[in-house]
Amino acid sequence: MFRRQVASLSRLQHLQMSTNAAPAPTSTSASSGEAISEFRTAVTNPGEHSSLHVAKFYTIPVEQKKKIFGGGGLPKQYEQQIKTFQEACLMVRSPALELLHYIQNADLSKPAVRYVVYGANGVGKTLTMAHVLHYGSLNDFMLVHVPWVPNWMKRPKEAANSSTQEGFIDLPFDAAAWLVHFKTQNLKLLQQLDLKTSKEYVWSKRESTPAGSTLLELVEHGIARIKYASETTAALISEIKQLSNAGKCKTMVVIDGFNAFFHPETRIFSENKQRVTPDRITLTQPFLDITSYDWTNGICILSVDKIAMTEGYMASHMPRYLLGKEGFEHLDPFIPVHVENYTEKEFYNYISYYLDRRWINKTPPGFEEQLKFMSNKNPYELMQLVKSL
Amino acid sequence: MSWSKNISINTWRCGRLMSMYPQHYVDPIYKMEDQCSKRTELLRLSHIPIKGALNNSSDTIFNGEIKQKMVNYITKNGEGFLSRKLMAQTLEMIKRTQLEGSYISPGYNKTETDAESLLIQAVENCRPLLQLSSIKRGGVKYHVPIPLTNKKSYFLAMKWLLDASREKDRKVSLPEKLAWEILDAAHGHGRVIKKKEELSRQCESNRAYAHYRWS
Repeated sequence: MFRRQVASLSRLQHLQMSTNAAPAPTSTSASSGEAISEFRTAVTNPGEHSSLHVAKFYTIPVEQKKKIFGGGGLPKQYEQQIKTFQEACLMVRSPALELLHYIQNADLSKPAVRYVVYGANGVGKTLTMAHVLHYGSLNDFMLVHVPWVPNWMKRPKEAANSSTQEGFIDLPFDAAAWLVHFKTQNLKLLQQLDLKTSKEYVWSKRESTPAGSTLLELVEHGIARIKYASETTAALISEIKQLSNAGKCKTMVVIDGFNAFFHPETRIFSENKQRVTPDRITLTQPFLDITSYDWTNGICILSVDKIAMTEGYMASHMPRYLLGKEGFEHLDPFIPVHVENYTEKEFYNYISYYLDRRWINKTPPGFEEQLKFMSNKNPYELMQLVKSL
Repeated sequence: MSWSKNISINTWRCGRLMSMYPQHYVDPIYKMEDQCSKRTELLRLSHIPIKGALNNSSDTIFNGEIKQKMVNYITKNGEGFLSRKLMAQTLEMIKRTQLEGSYISPGYNKTETDAESLLIQAVENCRPLLQLSSIKRGGVKYHVPIPLTNKKSYFLAMKWLLDASREKDRKVSLPEKLAWEILDAAHGHGRVIKKKEELSRQCESNRAYAHYRWS
């Protein structure tokens, strides 16, 4: 009772923070007929999440998790946690809700809106994007999802000289892996929708993909012929852009670590033993194309991350610094979405989740205060601290 | 020149350059629990000089006596940060193996998931009571069973656990192996327990020499 009063008071005080002050949804959990803990919610559809569910956990069903995040998308340590806890739980947090709110109310006939997720290290940018990705997958968005761009720039599987563009470098294996990821995420949509290529793509003397073949055929060709995977990616992305423009599908572009495309240099060496800049890599151009504003029926959610950069370029986590002049101008105008450390309520809910999973075994009085002090309510720090308890 | 005289007297009195507390200083009580339970004693202590607390003795959930000792034994070349990390990884691994599959099993609440209490359990299980020491009597060396002090037996238990986990493939990490050894020992089987039993068997068979300790 007292809590409810306090909640309503604080709601009056700062309207923006109303998400934090929502009373516990006792009515919803009672109606679903299950005994659900206070920190969980039974609503598994991200589209239905509202400020009522802030700081609560929802579970991603196993098949959906496998489909969406099978090829990456969740941080490695979070995957480990999911495996140990045997459930894929995500916390509903206000940045993700903010994004979902924007997306639900966006007018898709207008040029694509770019959202830039930013924040300090370990605050949950990737998981925020995972939440949105789940929404996109459930709401028939064609997903163009790059789990972590720096993987291409920092440790590619293989780098080869491009056969079509002089002086450019192909990443055939990474491109093929991305195509597989794209296929698993969008298999249902690719089969359902009538998506045809607009022109003929000639790969070599004998191989070509005729105009009017389905996108699925294009993707499968890229996977089968790894040599042409990079070019197939470029072709696929331009096709998706055209199809979205024509209104045949709606597209959600989710790219984590987007600023790696604008890093001054990569760790890939060219023929003359010099480091290549990201714009000399064939994979860069298509993803820059699809994040520009000259198309419709699309949403771009990009994250800028400090650890996507290398040493010497990690002074700040702000978009302007990380993207550089060129990148900032490429994205301008965009909507910034700031992800922050846990709020008080989120922090205590996370602790009770850990207690529920029996992950914290030491509970002398005041242990939450100690954890709060040590972790500064930073999600990643908290995860690290709690591991050995 | 009184100040220089003072210094010279002090250095002469100390005998050694390392700082050392006088004998009448008492150990600090740094744990909140102990401070509460020893309230009556605190009154007595109020006029007795107390040593400063060590910088690794803190009253937090991250601190544990056995854990701290184990960390110290793991440490090589003064790399305490690394050994703390290894210990944390060990405890994490123990927790993960204990939790694996325990959510669906009917005995959900019964599996022990507190890694540190498992560690303590393991060390307690591995503690030997007696040790063989060779004593020369009449030109012959005898292996004589002698009782161990508490401290020594804890040391041996932890040393054996560590030795067992350092005997491994290069590809296996120390935390991984240590976690397995601790889990084994906590459940009362495994190599370290065997070693302890072997020692106690030898002591048993050499009991006839026990009197050589004092005669």
